[in-house]
Amino acid sequence: MSIDFLKRVVLFVAFVLAQAFVLGRIHLFHYATPLLYVYFVTLFPRNYPKRGVLTWAFAMGLIIDIFTNTPGLAAASLTAVAAIQPYFFALFVPRDAVETLEPSLLNLGPTKYSYYIVTLVTIYCLLFFTLEMFSFDHLLEWLMSVVGSILVTLALIITFEIAKRKV
Amino acid sequence: MKNLLEFLHKYHHWFLFVFLEALSIVLLFQFNSYQGSVWFSTANAIAGRVCEWDAAVESFFTMAHNNEVLTQRNFYLERQLAQLRRLYQEATQKTDPKELQELEKISQYKLIPAKVVTSELHKKNNLMTINSGLAEGVEPGMGVACGQGVVGVTFLCSDHYTVVIPVLNAASSRISCKIRNRGYFGVLRWYGQESGYAYVEDIPRHARFKRGEWVETNGYSSIFPAGVLVGKIVEVYNSRDGLSYRLKIQLSTDFGTLRDVVVISDKSIAERMRLMQAARDSLKLNVHE
Repeated sequence: MSIDFLKRVVLFVAFVLAQAFVLGRIHLFHYATPLLYVYFVTLFPRNYPKRGVLTWAFAMGLIIDIFTNTPGLAAASLTAVAAIQPYFFALFVPRDAVETLEPSLLNLGPTKYSYYIVTLVTIYCLLFFTLEMFSFDHLLEWLMSVVGSILVTLALIITFEIAKRKV
Repeated sequence: MKNLLEFLHKYHHWFLFVFLEALSIVLLFQFNSYQGSVWFSTANAIAGRVCEWDAAVESFFTMAHNNEVLTQRNFYLERQLAQLRRLYQEATQKTDPKELQELEKISQYKLIPAKVVTSELHKKNNLMTINSGLAEGVEPGMGVACGQGVVGVTFLCSDHYTVVIPVLNAASSRISCKIRNRGYFGVLRWYGQESGYAYVEDIPRHARFKRGEWVETNGYSSIFPAGVLVGKIVEVYNSRDGLSYRLKIQLSTDFGTLRDVVVISDKSIAERMRLMQAARDSLKLNVHE
């Protein structure tokens, strides 16, 4: 039981509770729902075991699903993001960085961090709403949900990152 | 062999990824038909308990308003009852036999009270969880109603929690109903978007009715007794094929503030269901022969 593991357990529970009782019930303009828990997956540092990232993400997705009665939906999308995250983050790591560099606004700088977070959140929201509707019959509805949720989720994550930098 | 092991070791996270994805996809596609999946929904005991705490806090804050609505409804019913009793006495000059019969009819339904612990409004296929289950006598396929009108049908039960398919479920909710005092049948459907309105399909072309009339359950659905309120007709359209009417109705149940519901358990319904099942089975047997 390392400190790092305990820290992640606490974060995990916090994200699940926040999503199940507050964020999951927000439907701004009927479409935009913040899916903040994807932030949890983007936080894994460089050289974190890939199987660890996958397992954490799957567990998170499954528990979120249990609270929303959509078994497999968030789990499938979040596991996919977790598979990409280690490789994608490696592209943004500076050459002289420490072994366990964490992805954050402070460590990467605004430009690189924006690329990193926007891409991962976009991938997640696309997968999530495509799997949820599983048809493109309601193309406009789908597009509104994807774009709305990306914007709201990013706004929340950036707020957290800025707050973290100030601390 | 060594190469194979090396290969497996080097890429083991990809195998894990494929395995987890496969698991998710199986869950995703089996949920609607797979009854055992009660563990992966809010009917699961732990998730249900946590949601119940949350609902308890919320219901505390909306209690005053709910009380108001219930009292109003109670008053209205009480007045109606008194009025009907008086009319009946005037008409027949006697009180006992028929009134007793009516009471008996109502007492054959067992009403199981429950509280809503989670509910959704904004999806296309909404679900709802209530805090009564097998232990309280709830079974899949029973009707759920509240003081204001019809709510839905039970779907998955664990010992103490039940997932309900409310009227607001575009894929699975079909409740048969009729226009009050006219008797024309239709099917209650919902297609997403507004949570206060639903549609009644398949009302025959020769039916005569007016906007503002009430729609209620018809008692043939083997789930609800006759006369549970559904809503008020606000708009009349032609159906897509032009062979019947489609009614837009304002639901009498406010799903946004729903807290207290009752599950309707009827012994005679169970008997009817058994009979239907037996009839279906015997028909199938005949076909196979």
